[in-house]
Order: sequence, then C-alpha cells, then structure tokens
Amino acid sequence: MRWLPAFVSALCATGTLAAKKSTEQRFNEFHTKSLASTPVKLLDANYRELTSTPRDYTAAILLTALDARFGCQLCREFQPEWDLLSKSWIKGDKAGESRLVLATLDFSDGREIFMSLGLQTAPVLFLFPPTTGPHAAASPEPIRYDFVNGPQSAEQIHAWLSRHLPDRPHPPVKRPINWIKWIFTTVMLSGTVTAAVVAWPYVLPIIQNRNVWAAISLISILLFTSGHMFNRIRGVPYVSGDGRGGISYFASGFQNQYGMETQIVAAMYGVLSFAAIALTIKVPRIADPKAQSVAVLAWGGALFLMYSFLLSIFRVKNAGYPFALPPFM
Amino acid sequence: MSADTLQVLASAGKGESTRTILRFIILSLIAGAAIASRLFSVIRKCPLSAGSQLLSWQSRPSRRGQLSGLLRLSAFWAALLTAASFQVSRALFTNVGSPSLSQSCARAERQSRMVADNPLVDPWFNFRATKYLVANGFYKFWDWFDDRTWHPLGRVTGGTLYPGLMVTSGAIYHALRALTIPVDIRNICVLLAPAFSGLTAFAAYLLTNEMTPSPSAGLLAAIFMGIAPGYISRSVAGSYDNEAIAIFLLVFTFFLWIRALKQGSMLWGVLCALFYGYMVASWGGYAFITCLLPLHAFVLICMGRYSTRLYVAYTTWYALGTLASMQIPFVGFLPVKTSEHMPALGIFGFLQLLAFLDYVRSAIPSRQFQTFLWLFAGGTFGLGLAALVVATSAGFIAPWSGRFYSLWDTGYAKIHIPIIASVSEHQPTAWPAFFFDLNMLIWLFPAGVYLCFQNLADEHVFIVVYALFGSYFAGVMVRLMLTLTPVVCVAAAISASSLLDTYLNVKSPNAEEHPADDNTDGKKSGKTGLKSTSKPVVGIYGWLSKGTVAGAMTVYLLLFVMHCTWVTSNAYSSPSVVLASRMPDGSQHIIDDYREAYQWLRQNTKEDAKIMSWWDYGYQIGGMADRPTLVDNNTWNNTHIATVGKAMSSREEVSYPIMRQHEVDYVLVVFGGLLGYSGDDINKFLWMVRIAEGIWPDEVKEREFFTPRGEYRVDGEATETMKNSLMYKMSYYNYNSLFPPGQAQDRVRQSRLPEVGPSLSTIEEAFTSENWIIRIYKVKDLDNFGRDHASAAAFDRGLKKKKAAKKRGPRQLRVD
Repeated sequence: MRWLPAFVSALCATGTLAAKKSTEQRFNEFHTKSLASTPVKLLDANYRELTSTPRDYTAAILLTALDARFGCQLCREFQPEWDLLSKSWIKGDKAGESRLVLATLDFSDGREIFMSLGLQTAPVLFLFPPTTGPHAAASPEPIRYDFVNGPQSAEQIHAWLSRHLPDRPHPPVKRPINWIKWIFTTVMLSGTVTAAVVAWPYVLPIIQNRNVWAAISLISILLFTSGHMFNRIRGVPYVSGDGRGGISYFASGFQNQYGMETQIVAAMYGVLSFAAIALTIKVPRIADPKAQSVAVLAWGGALFLMYSFLLSIFRVKNAGYPFALPPFM
Repeated sequence: MSADTLQVLASAGKGESTRTILRFIILSLIAGAAIASRLFSVIRKCPLSAGSQLLSWQSRPSRRGQLSGLLRLSAFWAALLTAASFQVSRALFTNVGSPSLSQSCARAERQSRMVADNPLVDPWFNFRATKYLVANGFYKFWDWFDDRTWHPLGRVTGGTLYPGLMVTSGAIYHALRALTIPVDIRNICVLLAPAFSGLTAFAAYLLTNEMTPSPSAGLLAAIFMGIAPGYISRSVAGSYDNEAIAIFLLVFTFFLWIRALKQGSMLWGVLCALFYGYMVASWGGYAFITCLLPLHAFVLICMGRYSTRLYVAYTTWYALGTLASMQIPFVGFLPVKTSEHMPALGIFGFLQLLAFLDYVRSAIPSRQFQTFLWLFAGGTFGLGLAALVVATSAGFIAPWSGRFYSLWDTGYAKIHIPIIASVSEHQPTAWPAFFFDLNMLIWLFPAGVYLCFQNLADEHVFIVVYALFGSYFAGVMVRLMLTLTPVVCVAAAISASSLLDTYLNVKSPNAEEHPADDNTDGKKSGKTGLKSTSKPVVGIYGWLSKGTVAGAMTVYLLLFVMHCTWVTSNAYSSPSVVLASRMPDGSQHIIDDYREAYQWLRQNTKEDAKIMSWWDYGYQIGGMADRPTLVDNNTWNNTHIATVGKAMSSREEVSYPIMRQHEVDYVLVVFGGLLGYSGDDINKFLWMVRIAEGIWPDEVKEREFFTPRGEYRVDGEATETMKNSLMYKMSYYNYNSLFPPGQAQDRVRQSRLPEVGPSLSTIEEAFTSENWIIRIYKVKDLDNFGRDHASAAAFDRGLKKKKAAKKRGPRQLRVD
C-alpha cells in the first residue's frame, strides 16, 4: 500500500494548482499529512486554507508558542499531551471517519494569525466546526478552549473534543507504555530489596533505636503543626519580595504564609520544645550544682526569649493580638 | 467516673484520703469552669479581685505540707477559672439587667460559630430534627421523610443522619420531664455542648492518668482541655452540633481502649465498643477511631509487643463495636465495604493469625516452627492481597469516599469535587491557626511526645501514634483541629506536669552524694532507653533555679489563660447569624440582617413558599424562617446544587424556566457590598459557576466570568456574562439609588459600579434588609397577556413595543 500516500499526494499536488480546492480535497490533503506526521504543523498560508469555509470537516488547532524566547511554560508542558492525543486519534481513525484534523500553529510561524485573532495568551485551542455536511454547525465561528486551570491532560482534551463531535468515532487516548519507568522501577526495587537484605543486620539497630524514632516523630509533628501541609496543597512561594527590593519573610494575613515562614516557625517551636525537654530531662541529671544553675538559666532564658519572639511574630500575622512578653514588645 | 468515686471511698481510711478528695473537688471545679466559660463565652478581662481570695485559700494546703506544689498550682488555676467565670457571669447579669434564662439562652444560641467564608449552620438543622424527635417519638424519627428540604426531591432524613446528638438531648429531655422538671427542649439543645465539655475535661483527666504516674498531669490536662480554644470553638453554648458530644465520646473511647489494653480486660473492651457505637451514632468523624485503634495495634505488633492483652482488647472492641456501628442506618454495611474501615478488619484478621501462631509455637518444636511460620505468613499475605485486589476491582469494596480521599491525595478535591473544596472548613491549616487554637500547648506538645518515649509502654505508643496521625490530619483540614486538640492537651499536660514536678520539689539534693563523673550505669540503660535519660536523676539544687523556672511557667500559664479568654471572646463568641461591629467611638453595633430577613419570610410568605438560595443558607432558612428550600447544607445531591448554581449564574431568560420548573417563589441572596461584609454571594459566586460548570460545561463557563485579562471584576469592566447573570443583577439591583449618580461603590471589592444599574424583568424585589445584607426577590408569575417578561417589563418602563405587524406587509387572505 506504499503507493497510496504517493498517489494521494500527487493528487493533492495537482489540486494545489487549482485556485480553490474543494472541501473534500482539503480534508484529504490534511488527513494525508497527518497520517505522515501528526499533529499537522501549520504555516500562515495553510492555516487559512484549513479554516476556510465551506468545510465539511472539523479542525482542532492548537495555537501555541513553543519557542524558548516567549517563555511559555504552559505551552511546553501541554505539547506532549497534545502530540499524544493527536497520535492516538489518527492511529485509531486512519480512514478519517471522524473527519477531524488536528493541527498546531506556532507563534513564530503565524504571527499574523495571532494578531488577527487578538490573542494575548497561549496556548489556546480552537475547534472549527464544519459548515456543510451532516454535522454542520450553525455558526462557522470556532469554539475556544482556554487553559485556565493549568496544563490539561490528553484525556481531558479528548473528553472536550468528544463532546463537541457527537455521532462520530472517538478513538481513545492510548498512552504508550513507559518502558523506561517500568525498567527503572524494577531495577530500583530489586536493588532496594537486595540492599535491605544485605544491610539488615546494620539497619536493625537503627530501626529499633528509640532515639531515631523519637527524632522522626518530633520532626514530623513540628512540620505538620507549622503548616507544612498548607504549603504542599496550596503551593505557596518560598519567599516573596516586599516591593522595595527586599525580601519579606512573613506573608501578611492570617490565612496566608510562605514556605520559609513555616520553616522559621517550625524552628522556633523546635527550640521551645527542646528547651522544655532539656529543662525537664537533662538539667536534673547534671550532677554539678554550678553547671546546673547555668544550664537552667540558659535554657530558661532561651525559652523565654524565643516565646517572646514567637508572640511578636504572631502579632505581625494577627494585628489585634494584645499579648506580648518583654524583650520583643 | 465511678472508678474515681470508688477510689475515694477505698482510700478514705488511709492517709491519702484528703488528697484524693481534694483532687476530686478540683476536678469538678475544672469541669464546672469549663462549662461556665462556654456558657458565658463572652469572657472579658479576668477581674483582679479574684486573685485575693485565692491567695488565702492557697495557703491552707501548704501549711499542711501534704500536697505537692503542682497540685497547689492546678488548684489555683481551677479556682481562678471558676472565679473568673462567676465574676464574668455576674458582670454579664448586671450589664444586661436581669435576663431570664431563656433570654440568655437565646443570646448564647446565636453564638454558634466562628464566621469563616462559609458559615456552616448545622445547629439549625439539628435543632429542627430534635424538635421532630421529641414531638413524634423515636420510631417516627427513624422513618422521617422531610419534604421541606431539597424541594422537590425531599430527603430521607432518618436514614441519612447521625442520630446520636438528637437522641441524647431527647433522652435528657424525657429524663428531666420524668423528674418533673419542666424544661424547654430548646434550652437543652443550647446547653448540651457546654455540659458535654465538662465531661470532656473529665475524660481527658482519666486518659492522662493512664499515661503517667504523676497525679497532677491529669488535672492539668483537664484544665487545658477545658479552655483550649481549639475545642471551645465547637462547644460554646448554642453550637448544637455533632462535634459537641463527639469529642467527649472520642476521648472517653480512647480512655476505655487504653484501660482495656492495659488490663487485657474484656469488660473494658465491651465498654469501649459501647462508647464507640455511641460515637458512630453521633459523628462521621468516628472513622478517626476506626483507623487509629488498628494503627496503634499494628504499631504494637511491629514493635514485637503482641500480647494476649492486646488480643482480648482489640477483638472485643472490633467485634462488638462493628456490630454496634452497623445498627445505624446511615452507616449500615459500610464497615465491611469501604476502604476506610478495611484497616480495622485487616488487623482483626491479623491478630487471629498471630494468636494462632502463638498457640502453634507452644505446641511444636522451634525449628519446625520457623518453617511453618514462613510458609504460613507468606501464604496468608499472598492470599489476602489477592483477595483485596479482586474485591476492589470487582467492585465489592467501594472506592474511597471523596471527603476521606481528599485527606490523602491533597490535589484530589481541587480537581474532582469542587463542592468539597468550596467549604472553608475543608481547607488546609496555616500555622497561625494552630497557634491561635493551641497557644503554648503547641510547643509543649512535642516535648510531651518526647517524654512518652522515655518509658515507652503500650499506652505511650498510643500517644505517639495519635500525635502523628492527628497533626497530619489537622494540617490537611482546618476542621480536624478538633481531633488533634485532645492529644495536644494530654501530651502538653504530661510535659508541663513533669517540668513542674521537677522544679517545685522542696527537697534539694546534696552535692556530695552525687559525684560529677558518675557514669557507670549510663551505658547499660543507654541501649534501650533514650540517650538523654542515660544518667541518673539528681534533682535541682538551688532555689534560684527552681524559682526562675516555676516563675516563668506561671507567666506562660497566665498568658495561656489570657490568650484563651481573648480568643474566645473575640473569635468564637461572635455568632454567625448576628454580626457585631465596632463603631468609630468604640461602641458595639449589632447587625441583625439575617434574622430580620428570616423573620420577614416567616411572616410575609406562604407556608409552603419555596425559597431558592445558595446551599450555605439552606439550614438557616429551614430552621429560622421555616420555609422549604431547594438545597441546603447536607450536600448529597451535587446535580441539584449545580442546578441552583446554573440558575444563579445564567441569564434571566435561562434562569426563569429553571425556577418555574422547581416552583421557586422567592430567591434569596446575600450581598455585603454596602457594609463591606466579605462572606457574601458575589464572593462565593465562582464556586456556583464551577459547580454548575461541572454538570453543564457547555452552558456555564467559568472563563466567561473573567475579563480577557483574567480578572474577576464587578465594575464597568465586568464581562457581559457576569453583568447578565442573575446573581449579579440581584446583588446590584437598585444599588446605585443609594448613592449620588455615578458614585455607587462596592465596599467589599473596592470598585466603583457602572452608572446604570442592572434591570430585572422576571423577578421583582420583595425585601431588602436594613444593611442590604439579605435581598429577597419574588419570582413573577407568567404574564397575564402571554408576553415574555422582558417585553412586559419594557412596556412597564414606558418603552413602546415595536409593532411587528407593520413589517408584515399587507394583509393576505388565507388560502387553504
């Protein structure tokens, strides 16, 4: 069947000579192109050709800006998903029964198009519905898909496309098996198991060591109570500028915080707890009276200072808080 | 509780009796103080005069020299608290005049909750359900079908709620009636939460006493539990919610579990199961116990601490507790189906295997036992795993319910369930909230957990596991701060009491007895214990050291009490229905729009007029205005909520048929623009759009509510979709008539509104409250002349309808 694409392309080549191709011809041309490599990479001219009316096919065109100059993180993140979607769609629909062309127009190839559409952000996905034929839509205007919620997965876009293409086949998204990941996982897993077996006699005392578990527990408690999960869930910035070129370590507002802020708070809690532990456990075990009273004063002082500092920071977060301890009033 | 009384009686003949009785008195004082502080949760400043009578009281036990210093200190605090609350109550009574009980109850009832963005108003529903229970009896209540909510669907209420709370207050009501004490069910509902908080303080005392030999730790834990803001927030008078009794049940179940585990006693295990069953009947948070107890058992097994005590306690609890929990219709067969109950079942099976192995080991020689063990363990594990996989994939085991799943995968709720993400109580917790709710306990807590590692008995493992588990969940969800608070109080009390025990000891060691290089037995104990406890305890030498630390601790404790008082009076006593604000001159100004509007609905609308509002206000409308609602806070039907969201966020022409189909008579919106009240519907509007978009992605699009530059605006720059949405129109209708032309301003969003306000055609303004917080619109009936509403409204405004007839051209004769 090698001759079929060649034949079709030859047909198309003759077709280009004609001033205006029929919609059937255009679809065949783009479908052939997409069989060769998908999504079809568009230029200025064939974008207009693809979207010209009348058309009896649907065109899904992703307008994106992949060049590093534009610094479009979202475009680059979404591109593999879009490639995956179009590949699996074309693979499942070689005959072109769904009459859908998936194409990409990069900003560097079609600057005018972006201008004429008045686009200020990328990526944007346009779906040009057919204007003639059995699935013709009332308006030739494209349906726009904005990536408001960050990069979408191929399945989400697939669902969106399927919704707008009723009564047509929707080849499902097939993710290729990630062999590297599987091999990597297997190797790592067996390596870990081997290492665990070999190191077991050495690891066992550590696992059974009460100090290690105490340390792990305390650190996790300090992390959780200082708002670490908030950082994970909300993805807050680590620090932020204060608008005058400096760094502001503490977010304003009671319901807000920065990554660094929580670490400072966790450290303060840690110092306070450790001082309390030291006063309870360590100090009564010091046999020398002089050293003991020095230790009491040191730990007690550290506790007092740190608590005072903590209260002062809490007053920053909650402006109406009335309580304070001496050094940091 | 009876155990303590028995102890008192038993030790009455011995020298300890005075001490025990005194401790008991202190404990009841603490419980009383905890109750009182919630009743009058408007505690202002603690009057200094309370201190003088205390000092004289304090000197008595020290003369006898029988009490440890700490006991004195805790007595001081208990009495301080009690005195403070009595002082406050007196001040309150003189201020208000001479209010009758019902008045002060009504006052307390309003103080239900801290206002977050979404005030949840479950108390209103619970109150309504309790009234129904008391009026119609238990069996009617069980089969209650409520047709006044979720119009037109209705709700099978009896089968979809946790009845524990209502049954508790119903039982109290009937008990009091039997004692010929006439009391209104309303008063019982209002006072239930404070009463149970006293019991919680008592349960915390019992739980802590299981952990440490120090007699004062329990008292401290009771004090902490009594006044920690993290718990007060849910137990002030009038917060008639499931949590009100559930926290007591939680702590008490844990106490019974520890007792059962320590003694290996089936009796305590049965009691534990009974209270667990009560807990299941009361609160959805019972899953916390269901997961924590197996986890504790599992950790104990992993540490090689399997014992028959554990076997007896766990199997008794699990078998009876599960049976008890399955008696609740709402729970039903969940304990054997859903994944969050699987750990409990798994550990139950695992313990059977361990018990079996234990038996086999005693029967056959050890070498054969090794082979047997490996084969047996491998086989069982493989079989169990295969069964789990098969059952899950075949659908016998339900997938994790959304609310629970969002705890583990923190991104889950945001993507899949906007309705869960929209509730402010399901948000993660920022650190100020921890400090706000726990104050100095937050740093005593890790110290207490560390002390638990000192002699790590089974019950100490429980505290460690609970601390880790609880702090993780409290970090993920603000609401679960409530389940963390008990363990924080217990651990902090252990830490504070051992600190004070060390420094408030009259005896000082003698320096000669303890040579500085005493290091002989240190290495031996260092193997198993903590590194820091390898040396022997000497004691504290100087009075200076003792004085410094004791003084500093007193300052911290005082600060803690002041903090709790401040938090309670500022944050948690401000009711969600009545807003309080300060005038420029410092006087208090009460904003009572909600009640005004609900009263209006009650008096001016038909008995069965259907009210459409966003679901946050459903329970309030049902409870206070007594009118059927479309959606309420029980969010079981996402599509129905999305329907309301769609009606709110679409154009009038789209919304009107939806409202007609649902027989809506009135629409209620909350608008804070005039007053600067930020919890209004325009700020919640995006959630309505999102939830509606989840069901009708083609008709409602979130993108269209943002300007091309991605801003959410309400002023002249707002998008057309925004300006035409029903919610926007209802919020700003006629709003610019309050201002000079062109000056209309929204004080929440700080934006100037367009000069021409929106116009409404299918609904008409019926009521607007004093501060414009609540606006109620009446849905118009169909037009008498059969016109559509837009042209009818245009006609009323004096715009003549264009005669379509003229365009039609000359008349033609109809030919068949």
